[in-house]
Amino acid sequence: MTEPLNPSAAIVVRSLCKSYGNLMALDDFNLEVERGSIFGLLGPNGAGKTTLIRILTTLMRQSSGEVFIEGLDPASQGLEIRRLIGVVSQENSLDRYITARENLELHARLHGMDARVYRQRIDELLELMGLTGRQHDPSDTFSGGMQRRLVVARALIHQPRVLFLDEPTTGLDPQSRRAVWDYITSIAGSMTIFLTTHYLEEAEQLCDRIAIMDHGRLIALGSTRELKESLVGGTVYQIEFGEEVERYAGLLRGMACVREMAVTGRTVCVELESWECLSEVVSALNGAPVRRISIKERTLEEVFINLTGKGVRE
Amino acid sequence: MILHGSFAIWRRDMLVLRRSILSELVAVLAYPLTIYLAFGVGMQGYIGLVEGVPYSLFIAPGLITMTAVNAAYNESVWSLWFHRRVQFTIESYRVTPITVSEIVLAKILSGFTHGLVKGLVVGLVIFSLTPFRFPLEHLASYLLFLVPGSALFSCAGVICGTVMDKPETIGKVEAVFIMPLIFMSGLFFPLSSYPAAVIPWVRALPTTALFEGARLALVAGSFQYGYLLQVTVTALVVFVAAVWIFRRKLSE
Ligand SMILES: Nc1ncnc2c1ncn2[C@@H]1O[C@H](COP(=O)(O)OP(=O)(O)O)[C@@H](O)[C@H]1O
Ligand SMILES: [Mg+2]
Repeated sequence: MTEPLNPSAAIVVRSLCKSYGNLMALDDFNLEVERGSIFGLLGPNGAGKTTLIRILTTLMRQSSGEVFIEGLDPASQGLEIRRLIGVVSQENSLDRYITARENLELHARLHGMDARVYRQRIDELLELMGLTGRQHDPSDTFSGGMQRRLVVARALIHQPRVLFLDEPTTGLDPQSRRAVWDYITSIAGSMTIFLTTHYLEEAEQLCDRIAIMDHGRLIALGSTRELKESLVGGTVYQIEFGEEVERYAGLLRGMACVREMAVTGRTVCVELESWECLSEVVSALNGAPVRRISIKERTLEEVFINLTGKGVRE
Repeated sequence: MILHGSFAIWRRDMLVLRRSILSELVAVLAYPLTIYLAFGVGMQGYIGLVEGVPYSLFIAPGLITMTAVNAAYNESVWSLWFHRRVQFTIESYRVTPITVSEIVLAKILSGFTHGLVKGLVVGLVIFSLTPFRFPLEHLASYLLFLVPGSALFSCAGVICGTVMDKPETIGKVEAVFIMPLIFMSGLFFPLSSYPAAVIPWVRALPTTALFEGARLALVAGSFQYGYLLQVTVTALVVFVAAVWIFRRKLSE
């Protein structure tokens, strides 16, 4: 007895397992990705991200469990799925013996597109990715960031409904990484985007929802905000005083809604039960020489350490 | 459109061939021409007539056939290995709506075309530089051998390029199997040179059927249906094996 599929999900993964010999690369993995969203799968190297993408893109069979892409089953409808998806694999997989444009043309033909249609589409994509000026150069003369953009363009040639990006910016310098982010953001909305990364910042910048995985298991799922809020403890504020730090620190320490506190120089760091307590704190500090109150942003890195007990392995 | 994927990949391979053919031809021609000069011209005085013809004429058709099948094998084996292991292009083809069979078919077709093109070029060069002549009407029956021969070696190349992950292994297989198979199959000496007990074994080789059949067709105009059948059937078997092995490897 299988549950009916959620009609608004572009990707459904149920009890998915994949083993390589004794190694469980995916262990009872469950996931749903809403149509039209940008979904980020975050995990350190060896977590099982590529394995999941390979199964979702019909390159590999699962050991057990179910997968649906736009309601289609890879086991029996691989060809139909491949019409709907675009894939940017972890390795660039560009053909270095032909030009950038010819790379795109080849893939357009593999998608059965007509020359009249794909010529125009290729012009648009090259423009969008900022590669028009280099289209007649062999792809191996491109920088890492340009190659990555060309692979993204190649994956978009047939206007896929679901785009998979496996570590789209790994190995790129910060500037090229930002450029790739911009291009991804510019195509968002028109399709579902599923990306993997081991950069917390990347997931935070790009994704509507994030799944965190390690050792083949899903360990957290939610929006960036939800994940950060799920951290043990509430919001942390930094309050900088002009003078009498000790006195106000003592005052704050006595308050019921202050959970944790630390003093460094003239700054007091307080962790509140919830953000609603803030007004209470502000009233208590009435007349105090407060110079600045700021929220201390918690990072996904902290979420990650919190969940796995360790930092992200590079 | 059926097989549009094969056609697209084959077109890509032909584009690359077209661009590289001039620079490649030097290497393609050097080998058979060196052999022709060393053996056909240099050793001719010592060898004299073989099966009633000067030695240079005896080996000329074999050199053309050898170039073709070697080129077919080499293109297939290296292209498969390179696109699979180095460039990951095969993987990029696999996420498009084409089948794995279309990919392997394209690669077989490309190797086959390389063989045919390079064999014909060497044929033309030998024809224009040497006194080797054959009646033009024999060409069609020679091609009847060259086509399944090139296909056979292209399929063999696809198998090797699929199962071997290291370039060293590919080099070893070429030295240990492919070259001996070509050299021992009546290219450089008539089968009658072998001890009587060995001859049936050598005759059983599809390469012997190919080289003997092709030479007899081109030089003597005698068409050996048995040989052609042997080459064609072997090519078909190896073709089926190549498709099967490739599909299996990729589904791992
Ligand atoms: N083809 C394979 N054979 C055996 N083990 C593999 C294979 N591919 C990946 N693995 C192992 O499976 C685990 C998950 O790998 P992968 O999915 O590539 O992780 P990620 O993409 O998150 O870095 C790793 O421990 C990796 O070594
Ligand atoms: Mg990976």
